[in-house]
Amino acid sequence: MSLAVVGLSHHTSPVEIRERLHFPPEALSSALIQARRWLGDGGVVILSTCNRVEVYASRPGPPQETAERIRGFLAESRSVAEAEFASQLYVRGDREAVGHLFRVAAGLDSMILGEAQILGQVNDAYLAAQTEQAADKTLSALFQRAAKVAKEVRNTSGISAGKVSIGSVAADLALSIFGGLAGKTVMVVGSGKMGELTLTRLMDRGAARVLLVNRSLDKAEELAARFSGQPVEFDELASALPSADIVISSTAAPGYVLGPAHFQRALRTRHGEPMFVIDIAVPRDVDPAVNALDDVYLYDVDDLREVTEANIEERRKAIAYCVEVIDAGVDQFWEWLQGLAAEPTIVSMSRELNTIRERELAKTLASLPELSDKDRQEVDYLTKRIVNAILQRPMTQLKREVAAEEDPHTVLHLVKRLFGLKEGT
Amino acid sequence: MILTRQAFILVTIATYILFYLASGAYAAAAACALVHLARPAPQLLTWAHGLALAGSGGIAAAFTVRWVHWGQLPLTTLTDTLSLFTLLAALTMVLTTWTQCARGLLTFYLPALGLVALINAAAAPAYLHTEPMRLQGVLLFAHVGSAFLAYALFFVACVTSAAYVFQAEHLKRRQTTGLFQRLPSLEDLDRILYRLIGVGYPLFVATLLLGLFWAWADRELLGPRWWLAPKILTALLMALFYGVTFHGRRFGFLRGRKLAYVVAAGFAVLLGAYVLLALLGLRTHNFWESA
Repeated sequence: MSLAVVGLSHHTSPVEIRERLHFPPEALSSALIQARRWLGDGGVVILSTCNRVEVYASRPGPPQETAERIRGFLAESRSVAEAEFASQLYVRGDREAVGHLFRVAAGLDSMILGEAQILGQVNDAYLAAQTEQAADKTLSALFQRAAKVAKEVRNTSGISAGKVSIGSVAADLALSIFGGLAGKTVMVVGSGKMGELTLTRLMDRGAARVLLVNRSLDKAEELAARFSGQPVEFDELASALPSADIVISSTAAPGYVLGPAHFQRALRTRHGEPMFVIDIAVPRDVDPAVNALDDVYLYDVDDLREVTEANIEERRKAIAYCVEVIDAGVDQFWEWLQGLAAEPTIVSMSRELNTIRERELAKTLASLPELSDKDRQEVDYLTKRIVNAILQRPMTQLKREVAAEEDPHTVLHLVKRLFGLKEGT
Repeated sequence: MILTRQAFILVTIATYILFYLASGAYAAAAACALVHLARPAPQLLTWAHGLALAGSGGIAAAFTVRWVHWGQLPLTTLTDTLSLFTLLAALTMVLTTWTQCARGLLTFYLPALGLVALINAAAAPAYLHTEPMRLQGVLLFAHVGSAFLAYALFFVACVTSAAYVFQAEHLKRRQTTGLFQRLPSLEDLDRILYRLIGVGYPLFVATLLLGLFWAWADRELLGPRWWLAPKILTALLMALFYGVTFHGRRFGFLRGRKLAYVVAAGFAVLLGAYVLLALLGLRTHNFWESA
């Protein structure tokens, strides 16, 4: 049994080709049935996202042959001439295919390094194949192991720590200050698109109360209706400020709208409870001197971008460690997979020895009619235990040898000759 | 317990082995925490946590061996009191990180604990084989025990303050990667500080009340002007200080970075005052001399 993956991704192919080869969810079921027909024997899983289309297959025969069949399947099922995408395809066989899936699942091959969504997509692809009974034993084990390795990578490397979009970074910073956002009040000054996006992120994390301040009360009321918030007139900004835990400012004002004096007054009322100020306006709305005040944490657009870049850099630093974890996972899986080749021989060995055991046991028991039923059972158990004990070491060792050998057939052939087993077992 | 010379040597060796294994475990836990700072890996924190627990087990065992050996609670030598303090501080740290889901704080806690353990290990050869003095009565045991638990809580609060200032400074400077991401939020740290002081302050007051009651009941032992002893005056001032701090936070007047500074300064003053009194020879109440 060999493994192969054939596919294209944002690394190798433009979106024009990716969208033509993409399998929409409603077409996946029939595509899996079609793919099994093309492959003949074995299993198949199709991973199709906006950034990649990959077909994983396991079947007898060399991976190159499997790859040829997958190419043909892709061309036929998506009605695209093979020549149009052949140059953008990558093919990975056996160990490399395992390593590729583990990297994809861990987010190392993603457009945004370490993004978490891909693991869900890999799991969905496997579940779809399982539903259609298209995932055989090898692919099931491969995808389950991929999910396990990806979780280990995420949990231990920090590859997913630190967000990489402005809105998410702002929400993460708010959590670093307040722990949770439940019960926190967010004040939005102005009506910029970016401000709304950041507010949405904060509300996703549990911020409940929203104050919307705008020079135009109509606009404030419109936004308040959309976000189930409370409109505040611009003149009341200073008096409403102390009740805000988080301030998002994104007005089109030419100068500073909020200065240290506003926040000093607010802090006095708040008795030192911290405030997080996100100034997304250009030119800036909040005087940078505000950041010098204790318990006020001011971030402008450049600061947020800086944090984003630092997070990306941290993710890059984690790659080496992720690769170590993935390589160890690939080694383990490969050893297990190679060990599978020994299974038919092991079953055959066990059957052969048990046949001998039963024959000899029957002869012995026939010559001892005085034995009670209980004694006969005891003798039966005894012989079973002896056979199992004899088999245990050769079975374990055979699995190891087969996994270590490049060509396991020599080892398996020798064992078959030793035990007088039929070829083909 | 009366021991033969041979048995005495064996018990003393066992005490030393247990004590230094425990100190080694604390030092290793601190090293793991420091390595975690440089190259984060959750496995390191798990090891550090396990080593700190092993160290606590070792210290408790050494303490128990000394207790059984001498037939009295060993609470009067520098090593015994530092061992008790280390043990209580370690347990407070483990409980705090566990109940507050703030495992990242171990990176701050364990190096500080390791430092105390190393100081204790350096001082131990002078004390570990000596007989502890006998304390006068149960009240005094309770007084000393609760005092060390309160000191342990103030010590952990002091280290938590350092973590708060670290987080706040990093937020101000926009350095939000690395350890920053593994520590609790500012408000969580503020809450932890409040809880530590909230338990430490009443305990410290109870300590003083127990001590005052004991001193009043046995006035002959400390002399007629026992209440003017520098350590008692320092302790009363510190109780007042922690009272103001606790109630300031409780009523919302003292929180965040200010609370962190006050708590850190409070412990520094407490420690400094006791060290100064010891250097001037004014440290003890001499409550065991007549034993």
